[in-house]
Amino acid sequence: MNRKKGDKGFESPRPYKLTHQVVCINNINFQRKSVIGHVELTIFPTVANLNRIKLNSKQCRIYRVRVNDLEAPFIYNDPTLEVCHNESKQRNLNYFSNAYAAAVSAVDPDGGNGELCIKVPSELWKQGDEMKVLKVYIEFSLDQPKGGLHFVVPDVEGSMAERGAHVFSCGYQNSTRFWFPCVDSYSELCTWKLEFTVDASMVAVSCGDLVETIYTHDMRKKTFHYMLPIPTAAPNISLSVGPFEILVDPYMHEVTHFCLPQLLPLLKHSMSYLHEIFEFFEEILTCRYPYACFKTVFVDEAYVQVSSYASMSIFSTNLLHSAMIIDQTPLTRRCLAQALAQQFFGCFISRMSWSDEWVLKGISGYIYGLYLKKTFGVNEYRHWIKEELDKIVEYELKTGGVLLHPTFCSGKEKDNPTPHLHFSIKHPHTLSWEYYKMFMCKAHLVMRLIENRISMEFMLQVFNKLLSLASTASSQKFQSHMWSQMLVSTSGFLKSISNVSGKDIGPLIKQWVDQSGVVKFFGSFAFNRKRNVLELEIKQDYTTSGTQKYVGPIKVTVQELDGSFNHTLQIEENSLKHDIPCHSKSRRNKKKKIPLMNGEEVDMDLSAMDADSPLLWIRIDPDMSILRKVEFEQADFMWQYQLRYERDVVAQEEAIGALEKFPTPASRLALTDILEQEQCFYKVRMLACFCLAEIANSMVSTWTGPPAMKSLFTRMFCCKSCPNIVKTNNFLNFQSYFLQKTMPVAMALLRDVHNLCPKEVLNFILDLIKYNDNRKNKFSDNYYRAELIDALANSLTPAISINNEVRTVDNLNADVRLILEEITRFLNMEKLLPSYRNIITVSCLKAIRTLQKNGHIPSDPSLFKTYAEYGHFVDVRIAALEAVVDYTQVDRSSEELQWLLDMVQNDPVHYIRHKILNMLGKNPPFTKTTESSLCNESLVDQLWKLMNSGTSHDWRLRCDAVNLYYTLFGLSRPSCLPLPELGLVLNLKEKKAVLNPIIKPEIVSTPLEPGNNANLGPLMGFPISQEDEPPGLELPPSVPALPLGQGLKRKAETPLGSPLEPGQVLEKDEDSNKVKLKIRFSNSQEEEDIDMDTVHDSQAFIYHHLNMLERPSTPGKEPPSVEQTILSMPATPISIFGKETNSSSKHSDHHHHHHHHHEHKKKKKKHKHKHKHKHKHESKDKDRDKDKERDLHPFSISPASGRSVRSPSFSD
Amino acid sequence: MADPAVVGSGALVTGSRSSSGKSSSSAAENYQLARRRTLQVVVSSLLTESGFEASERAAVESLTEMIQSYISEVGRCAKAYCEHTARTQPTLSDVVVTLVEMGFNVDTLPVYAKRSQRMVITAPPVTNPPVVPRALTAGQKRTHPHHIPSHFPDFPDPHTYIKTPTFREPVSEYQVVREKAATQRRDVERALTRFMAKTGETQSLFKDDITAFPLIAARPSSIPYLSALLPSELELQQLEETDSSEQDDQTDTENTPGGIGNDEPGADKENAMLPQGGTLPQGKASEENLIDNPYLRPVKKPKVRRKK
Repeated sequence: MNRKKGDKGFESPRPYKLTHQVVCINNINFQRKSVIGHVELTIFPTVANLNRIKLNSKQCRIYRVRVNDLEAPFIYNDPTLEVCHNESKQRNLNYFSNAYAAAVSAVDPDGGNGELCIKVPSELWKQGDEMKVLKVYIEFSLDQPKGGLHFVVPDVEGSMAERGAHVFSCGYQNSTRFWFPCVDSYSELCTWKLEFTVDASMVAVSCGDLVETIYTHDMRKKTFHYMLPIPTAAPNISLSVGPFEILVDPYMHEVTHFCLPQLLPLLKHSMSYLHEIFEFFEEILTCRYPYACFKTVFVDEAYVQVSSYASMSIFSTNLLHSAMIIDQTPLTRRCLAQALAQQFFGCFISRMSWSDEWVLKGISGYIYGLYLKKTFGVNEYRHWIKEELDKIVEYELKTGGVLLHPTFCSGKEKDNPTPHLHFSIKHPHTLSWEYYKMFMCKAHLVMRLIENRISMEFMLQVFNKLLSLASTASSQKFQSHMWSQMLVSTSGFLKSISNVSGKDIGPLIKQWVDQSGVVKFFGSFAFNRKRNVLELEIKQDYTTSGTQKYVGPIKVTVQELDGSFNHTLQIEENSLKHDIPCHSKSRRNKKKKIPLMNGEEVDMDLSAMDADSPLLWIRIDPDMSILRKVEFEQADFMWQYQLRYERDVVAQEEAIGALEKFPTPASRLALTDILEQEQCFYKVRMLACFCLAEIANSMVSTWTGPPAMKSLFTRMFCCKSCPNIVKTNNFLNFQSYFLQKTMPVAMALLRDVHNLCPKEVLNFILDLIKYNDNRKNKFSDNYYRAELIDALANSLTPAISINNEVRTVDNLNADVRLILEEITRFLNMEKLLPSYRNIITVSCLKAIRTLQKNGHIPSDPSLFKTYAEYGHFVDVRIAALEAVVDYTQVDRSSEELQWLLDMVQNDPVHYIRHKILNMLGKNPPFTKTTESSLCNESLVDQLWKLMNSGTSHDWRLRCDAVNLYYTLFGLSRPSCLPLPELGLVLNLKEKKAVLNPIIKPEIVSTPLEPGNNANLGPLMGFPISQEDEPPGLELPPSVPALPLGQGLKRKAETPLGSPLEPGQVLEKDEDSNKVKLKIRFSNSQEEEDIDMDTVHDSQAFIYHHLNMLERPSTPGKEPPSVEQTILSMPATPISIFGKETNSSSKHSDHHHHHHHHHEHKKKKKKHKHKHKHKHKHESKDKDRDKDKERDLHPFSISPASGRSVRSPSFSD
Repeated sequence: MADPAVVGSGALVTGSRSSSGKSSSSAAENYQLARRRTLQVVVSSLLTESGFEASERAAVESLTEMIQSYISEVGRCAKAYCEHTARTQPTLSDVVVTLVEMGFNVDTLPVYAKRSQRMVITAPPVTNPPVVPRALTAGQKRTHPHHIPSHFPDFPDPHTYIKTPTFREPVSEYQVVREKAATQRRDVERALTRFMAKTGETQSLFKDDITAFPLIAARPSSIPYLSALLPSELELQQLEETDSSEQDDQTDTENTPGGIGNDEPGADKENAMLPQGGTLPQGKASEENLIDNPYLRPVKKPKVRRKK
């Protein structure tokens, strides 16, 4: 309410306002995996003469559209189905990314676009003047949806309910368009009425309040009626249907939990603390949960672990656990907290545009962090913050930066805010998944920085303000213009902050939000005894990618003998050195206790320290109030003091990290002490285990006593009377449980002088396995056993191989035989008594792969392939797939790579497909910089196809494919491919008239050379084939493929004589504007499919992309005249044609040369009205006529299949 | 009146049909048969004495019956006389009186006994009663202690009341116990998994020797999450042992039956009545009614179409 006019402005990109939507799904067929239903959107035109309504819809088969009961013609066209149309032998990623971003923009609801374009019947046009309501009624069906809705139908006997079949909506960001037509934007809010008719044995869970459930007349089905009176964006609508067991939360009766049959006991336990999370959030936000009810649904084969929708959340069923499971409990609680945080910020409060996403993710992540702090303690919280900070720092340094608030309004293509990335960050759907995760991570860290600046109290006040504004707005039932108060924007959020706190956080925002990169500090110091001054030097690296320069305050904490002192230094342009006066004289007060930061006073053994200096340790930016990486140099004893006496877990972890470089007995002692100290945070102790192992290995020649940690473990966990036998398990003390789990794993990393795992350690671990006894334990020991297997795997070292002999049972090393026996037994026992989440199988598979990799047993992927099949538990599948991926990488096996890629295309589980691509990207069989026999043309084609058209149903998967392509081939054209071919496919009739490439190969090849440079940038090819002929007639197979002697033109490494796509190439050299002509001649399959439409489309995308940044930022601001001519095809973005005209005219020039003129002209006409509005001066009148024509022949009302891209039913 | 006779015959160890029949029917019958046979021999010899050369079997039987009855009557009466005089053992005079009473001239008896042609019947051979082999000989049979009169029944066989140590003293040393438990479990597991591997499909890690480390083949299941998430029965059992009762018992009874009950199609009756009727028998009925959750509400019947 305090907002000024300037930023109140949420201007809808659409010429109408949606107020209410009805979604009615009448039939869900599990057998056929199909859905039938209709939607009805109530919209208010905001312009006079609304004649086109653009909606989002993917996959849906649309049967009819009616506007106010009048049949309305519609066009369905989705350019994202196939990003680059068949024309292209273009295989470079730059080209693809641009085209993909353009395709996504072309249907982006935030740009007012959509796949479905409905023509308002002319009878209603007048109504538009009076701003009367329009009701758009759409009947649709979905058949075997590949994305958006996921069917899980187990293949067992019985009815669907008995089989546990269920279906749920899923997807990444706004993906609701996959299952019903809507305005799939986070900024278009409306109220909802949702109806789902399902089998009587099933339950339909959806958003809003369940008003009633009514049987159908035959009593075999029932209809669930939901009302959602709070304005909600379509992407926040979800559905899940299944034979769920229902649990009403015993503490909050308006909260209902659903799980699959037989899991009710687990559900009860897992949900038993949800009310605490509710209470926590309501308390800190001083705001009641905004919806009247809340539902949690646990489904199998979930897309992500947690997804939040308005008043409900869908979780993976694998989060459920029984009371016996320790390790899963905090993870599940975290997931619940995350889901709930997103209910407030993300579902209830939505965002204005994609560039405001960071506010939502930041706030929900931030309050989730507060929950962590409260529930798991400050140590856990600080540990988590450090973890997240390290993650984002690592990612940004690796990839070049994460930009939270991209602005696209100004600047040109050249000013792409993230030139270092191989994808566009303009749309959520073009983002790599990893980037998105890091984006969320950075967002909440930045929120924490803001909190540091303005205090938590103000921060919570801001949140409260946002929420109360939104809830006021949401109750304004009939004033839909008020609803934009429920949308958060960056500027609105910042304004709130400055209003509430009165502080200017501009610089902070500029540094971390409007700019990408992190800060990299190098610190060192010297103590000046004379002046009693600490001379601190802090350098920055801001030249490497992913870094930025920091100017401003930084906190430095110095622990001296007299106490701990904070200093705030100013980092300025040129000052590197800072003098900090010390408070204490060295050794002045030897006997005194030393006060710490937290007021505690401790006795320290000061003998280790430098007698001349009063400094115990120094910390730079201890509060992590900068997104930074600090590399600080101080002496080993200072790190040891820091580890022992600094009470902050972050400092302790830093010290442990630094001590790895100081393998001395003193470090060993410090680490051992920490290990033994029970007050110390358990994660620090766990970390210390690994550091100790590291140090022990470095000190192997001087190490005395038993192997590291052995005596410690014996003392803590073994019987007093017989120290070789471990006590029977008792995991009541979780800290020691985690330590007990970790120590053997770390110990197994120890190596003796021969670089083998000491026999003593191996036997010790084998004994732990042998004597493990869980009978008296209240908790399951499956994680413990799994880690013991991990320990066995860790103990393995590469086998000594003699002449590459084949690995057989006979020459198996005796130790390895023991290990293998354990693994075999564990793996077999799992079949009989499976462990929770089959964690032991997972560990066994990993261990077997380690055995293979170290050459102890023959390397063979077949075992893993069986475990990777559909039907195993998802964790097992992932572990098996990881092994196959690793095998592919090590053995360069094209067969396995192919097998993996087939699975990416065919596996029913989204997560698995995503994960395979992800793992392949992390452990690639080859990279752009390495040579590999795997890198061949068919692989390029396959991957290209995958990202181009094979993954159109899943945004996330497509981006994964792009990522993999990038990892394998880089941005430019893969080197294994033959010459880029930019051809003009000529008319069949012409072919004979054209130069025969066989006869004159040299002529053909010579002119191409200059064009073959890598720096050519996005090459543009305009292959054109004859469209008007029946497809079967063009390019008959009798025309031979003619290999060209092109080897000369290729880069040096390309083998001579590798087949070049024969044909003519027309190349436009952008620098010289010269046009070179090559003759292209081909009978390959792809060319046959090419038609003008597609060629133009893809061309259009590129141009569109080039122009994108020149357009006004808010599409809604386009001149009104556009509205009138908005007849243009939805496929092609509106603003393309400025350049398109040019290029087309160029075309026609060429075509003159090729006697192609006539046909091409015909084509051109067609396309002109498609992209018309920019050259209305040319042909407006003509188009008008055309419109009228078309009105007479309404567009096909026949189902517009989502699959047929190239026939956008534009037949006039 | 008839009973005393029976009792008497019992007392005379003639055996009885009723009383001892149960305990050792075959022995009693044998005895009876032996006696009867002896009587038959007696009758036959008397007949021979009297000059008969042959007789019908039926006649012998009748005479046997008569002689038996006579002897029995003598015994009965003699016992009655002795009891009449408050004694337990009949004396000669009792028998004499009896005989007199029965009209027998007692004086003729000595003469008859000493007659010359009388036949002497050898006593039937006494077969030693067969020794019942003892079922279990454990320890020594106890004799009565002094304070117990000897007529009291003997002690039963020792195995019926004596604790017999049949095992060795358990080893209580902790290390050994653990060692044993571990080995035992490992052996069981190994045997079991080997068995499973032998009887089912397997996978192998080695190509040369596929029997070396047999792995039970991985089999996809249709609903993999069930076995992966639900605790095994073994674990559940353990859990029950370690912590019983507590938590959520209330909510169990509160929610589940209500939810399921209301979900059942069959709400043909009055909708409003159903939840009460369904849940009243349960203990927490009052609390149950407070939960107003739309998913627990009954499914409504479709509205009847309006007639036009």
